[in-house]
Amino acid sequence: MNVRRWSALTKRELLKIARNPAAIATSLMLPIMYLLLFGQGFNFTSSLAYLPPAERVAALNALLLGAPNYFSYFAAGMVGFVCVTATLFVGANVIFDKLFGSLKRTAASPATATDIFGARLVAGSIQPVGLAFLVLGLAILLGQVGLSGLDVSASVTVVGAAEVVLAILLLSLMFAALFLALGFTIEQPQTYFALVNAINLPVLLTSAALYPWGAMPAWLQDIASYNPITLAVEVLRITFFGDALYPYSAGIYLLGLIGWFVAMFTVATLLTQRALAPRV
Amino acid sequence: MPDAIVAEGLVKVYNGSVKAVDKVSFSVHEGEIYGFLGPNGAGKTTTLSMLTAVLAPTGGRATVAGLDAFRNPHELKQRIGLVFQESTADQDLTGRENLLLAAALFSVPLRDTPKRVEYLLERLALADSADRPVKTFSGGMRRRLELAVGIIHSPHVLFLDEPTLGLDPQGRAGFWKIITDLRKESGMTVFLTTHYLDEADGMCDRIAIIDHGKIVAEGTPSELKDRVGGDVVSVRPLGAGVGLEAALRALPSVTSVAVQDGTFRVKCPSGETLIPSVVGAATGLGISLAGVSLRRPSLDEVFLEFTGREYREDEGPTATDRAVFISRFQDARRGRR
Repeated sequence: MNVRRWSALTKRELLKIARNPAAIATSLMLPIMYLLLFGQGFNFTSSLAYLPPAERVAALNALLLGAPNYFSYFAAGMVGFVCVTATLFVGANVIFDKLFGSLKRTAASPATATDIFGARLVAGSIQPVGLAFLVLGLAILLGQVGLSGLDVSASVTVVGAAEVVLAILLLSLMFAALFLALGFTIEQPQTYFALVNAINLPVLLTSAALYPWGAMPAWLQDIASYNPITLAVEVLRITFFGDALYPYSAGIYLLGLIGWFVAMFTVATLLTQRALAPRV
Repeated sequence: MPDAIVAEGLVKVYNGSVKAVDKVSFSVHEGEIYGFLGPNGAGKTTTLSMLTAVLAPTGGRATVAGLDAFRNPHELKQRIGLVFQESTADQDLTGRENLLLAAALFSVPLRDTPKRVEYLLERLALADSADRPVKTFSGGMRRRLELAVGIIHSPHVLFLDEPTLGLDPQGRAGFWKIITDLRKESGMTVFLTTHYLDEADGMCDRIAIIDHGKIVAEGTPSELKDRVGGDVVSVRPLGAGVGLEAALRALPSVTSVAVQDGTFRVKCPSGETLIPSVVGAATGLGISLAGVSLRRPSLDEVFLEFTGREYREDEGPTATDRAVFISRFQDARRGRR
């Protein structure tokens, strides 16, 4: 990889993101709506207040694996959700660059497929990572203004914070690689968005991002255990609420995420190289 | 003189059956402007795409700027410049940002980059709009920016694919003035495809006429026109010009004489040398002349001579066009660019 080419291409991607405030505002709207409406309306654990404290804690532990309330559990899940929805634009941008010719120009330069893919991967992951932390900040802030908010019940260590950052980064990179691979191989925006929708919903609904773990049927728990969103979200929950009720440490979940990222990165790199090679 | 481009037996077959380019061989000398002329679907862009490592050939060999065009695509791209038919600049970036990006992609030395960018912006009359997004540029400005991007790294060989398509006559003239000036300054070799006959005639040192994937004629514009049968000297007598036709036919080197609306059209290899004899023959017969003019045959006639059909700039899609379209459509469905 040529560092100068790579950084110039990354700068180009970031400039394009910065010059499209409407897209930034749109990507902010979804998590804000979820936190302000869904999270507030569905915070069912407040209805368990009638239970004696010991029974209440037992019920919460069984359902939410140590999270003090559903909103807190859900806020961590929202971070994973945002990492997915905010990265899907990186693939769409590739398709539009093909349609408007600028990818043709880049491909005609000495830049390698690795330069082109790597720049888009990094630039495309910056926005989701930023959004993820915005969601966390907003979720904590809501608790300070009289609404349900993210209640961090464990003491967060430096290592724990670093694990959270790493989990968010890996999840964003993994989905950015997936959507880039789709962007480089699909020609029509309509096909891309149809496929992305067909991927997003099943991936989200087979994860532990939204469902209380204890309420999920065993078969869904089995599937969710391998879902990359679950892996990332569990790192956040362990850090924020403690690991006592989790079968593995945050490090194991991170290893699983690294595995997902490596697999997706490898596939995406191969597909990008194939797409940018001279046409046969 | 060494050759900047050598193509030997280039073949491109789409869908296993349609030959878009059929055993094309030619060479382009160092510092030359070489035109690839032909109607839509003739195989011009396919040939250019193979020479610039955009398209893999089905067969044949090519050397461009001293490199095997098919074995060293990345090195090749560093040595050549490519200006596409359509605008490929990033619309959201400014003209200057597009040039800075291109400078980085083509490894223009960092210390030279600002000077080179400023030079090109000035040289191509883009300095005043350099900091505007490209989406606000006019068609002519976009073409000039494409050219600036194509030559940011001072390429050895510049490929121009229908570079003036869609420009008005002034825009085309301005664009070609820049190209000829740059060629004079840098000695750069230029390979261009065009379907504008007048453009090829005025700009190119040598021309290849391609039709149905084959080169049907090659030479300087003058040579090609000479091969059609030379010049036409039009002789207009003041009176009826009795006996003039026979006297003109009797002149050495005259290949034909046609009379149209009282004007004698004399075809010969070299009109300039025939004119004194024409005037002498008329004077010998006591015929006063109202005028004598010399017209060299245009490339339209050359195209007609070598392809057997008249040239149409707006010809509809050919079998090759359709095959290329189908191939790209199938590539897209299979997930290829």
